[in-house]
Amino acid sequence: MLDSVFIFSALALGLGLVLGYAAIKFKVEGNSLVDQIDAILPQTQCGQCNYPGCRPYAEAIASGEAPINQCPPGGQEGVDELAEFLDVETLPLNAENGETQPDHVVYVDEQVCIGCTLCIQACPVDAFVGASKVMTTVIADECTGCDLCIPVCPVDCIHVLEIAPTFSTYVPNMAEIAHA
Amino acid sequence: MLNQSFNGGIVIDSPHPVEVVEIILAPLPDKVVLPLQQRIGGEAIPCVSVGDKVLTGQVIAKTDDYFCVPIHASISGTVVIIDDQTIPHKSGLRSKCITIESDGKDQWIEHTGCGVDFLHCDQATMIKYIQASGIVGLGGAGFPAHAKLEGIQDCHTLVINGTECEPGIMCDDALMQHHPRDVIRGVEILLHICGAQRAVIAVEDDKQEALNSLLMHCHDDRISIEQIPTKYTSGAEKLLIKVLLGIEVPSGKFAIDIGVICQNVSTTKAIFDAVVENKPLVSRIVTVTGSGVKSPNNYEVRLGASFEHIVSMANPNTNHHSVRMGGMMMGVDVETTRMPICKITNCIFVNNIETKPNTQECIRCGQCNQVCPVNLLPQQLYWYAKNENTDKAMDYNLADCIECRCCDYVCPSHIPLAEYFSFAKALHRKTTEDQYRTDIARERFEFREYRLERTKQERAKMMAAKKEELKKKMANDKAQKGKIAAAMARVKKTKKVSDDVQ
Repeated sequence: MLDSVFIFSALALGLGLVLGYAAIKFKVEGNSLVDQIDAILPQTQCGQCNYPGCRPYAEAIASGEAPINQCPPGGQEGVDELAEFLDVETLPLNAENGETQPDHVVYVDEQVCIGCTLCIQACPVDAFVGASKVMTTVIADECTGCDLCIPVCPVDCIHVLEIAPTFSTYVPNMAEIAHA
Repeated sequence: MLNQSFNGGIVIDSPHPVEVVEIILAPLPDKVVLPLQQRIGGEAIPCVSVGDKVLTGQVIAKTDDYFCVPIHASISGTVVIIDDQTIPHKSGLRSKCITIESDGKDQWIEHTGCGVDFLHCDQATMIKYIQASGIVGLGGAGFPAHAKLEGIQDCHTLVINGTECEPGIMCDDALMQHHPRDVIRGVEILLHICGAQRAVIAVEDDKQEALNSLLMHCHDDRISIEQIPTKYTSGAEKLLIKVLLGIEVPSGKFAIDIGVICQNVSTTKAIFDAVVENKPLVSRIVTVTGSGVKSPNNYEVRLGASFEHIVSMANPNTNHHSVRMGGMMMGVDVETTRMPICKITNCIFVNNIETKPNTQECIRCGQCNQVCPVNLLPQQLYWYAKNENTDKAMDYNLADCIECRCCDYVCPSHIPLAEYFSFAKALHRKTTEDQYRTDIARERFEFREYRLERTKQERAKMMAAKKEELKKKMANDKAQKGKIAAAMARVKKTKKVSDDVQ
């Protein structure tokens, strides 16, 4: 009787130590709440949510400071996705923060540009290339379409270019397939 | 006859069989429209302008993209306009096109290739000729031929695809019957380029005439001609390799990864023309068939001619028609017959308009699972595609779907399964690309924040250091000033003393 009590206690202690050690040693660093919210946000970094970027807004949502409906680039779909993730009631997109624009990038009218570098400073993702008093240009692949550079340009040489579907990016319309 | 096969697939009788398979030479069109968009890559850049006179075979647009080939004028005449036009594609999008009006002379540009002594020509030159002549896969996929042949290391078998990709199409059959010599010479050229030990030409067992004419011209021990059972989707590259050689190309790999190169017979003939004469690809054989035409047949026609140009030769009836480019299974419905014929236009179906049966709910009968030639589970994929759950669909190997529409064909609920799959694939590609862009934006934003913070700190540090230095300097200055004052006082004192003495 005593033998079995001893054996099982030893076994329990031993296994407990192994498990405890494993829990510390092999701890999986899960995504924090902020990271997961940040992953849902569109990363336009436009600041229309009244926060300086997507991550600060994600932090504000995570701390319960900001409502989930302040991101126009994410659109209503983005709000719904956030609501589903956070398990809260969804809200209509707050019109005060702005309207959802179609996907676009900006380009610089190089004839007009005076090289003031204000846009370079305004760009949240460093998508501008240029220097003082030389022509500036936009790396289209890195532009998020936040439009922050447009109001700062003193000569209004930054214009919007909508991204049109091409043969390689074309996605069929599912509603049409379903009702064909 | 081979008895290896693959699971699934369906046997469909040719919907509009003909007695004699002919090739009718279509007259020169009055004008041709040549789209600058190719199957892969971006639009080519025109190197002619409106009003220019061009000769047949002259390069009119090119690109630096490795996967693209130059575009040639298919008739001689004048460039009349370069503008956006609708091209036969499921998206209905417009592409920039060059329109040439014929001068009726069909004057060719000068071209000389390796000549009949092609076996003494080196491989790189041959591949250069193939690319310069604008050869892409003429079976329907449009993959550039030179890209398949360049940099080949270990190729043991060359497979020449003489199977029609779909029931009803007969352009490859016609080519094998009427140009067997060019096909066989083309195979010899390909053997020379890729260094394979043997070549297998696959012909379906209902094309006896084609087989006979090929046998008549084939004297090379390395080339064998095999008959395979007529079953739909055996024309797909990976499945054909399985039927002929019993080897399965693994998912996500290409035929060349297992040492096999596959080319269509029409492509092979075009390669023959390209290598021997450096003759650009300016025409192709197109089948015109369907319930809306009285005499289905094959037409050799210049690229860029309108569908109408050859449809009118096949005696269409007076009904309203639905027009489809490609086969009855995998083809693309097009709005009008005013579309240009492209390199991938192997067939034009002109059908009387029929009402489509209504789509019903999926009853999970599982018939689609049995006919899928690549062993996927269409009914499972359908649910994921419908719910836009593309990640899950990809886990179920949606990427391997060849969109053959065998599942649609047998579906008792008439669900357009393949269209859902094509949608899910496109959506997945888009979300992956968007995710990539988003990740870059996040990374760049975070780096900028870090950089601004770093600059701020560095500046603060620099300012502090400067202040410290200034303080030190001032203290130093004070000491110096004290010393100067003391010296001045001393001088004054001495002066005073000497004055007093005087």
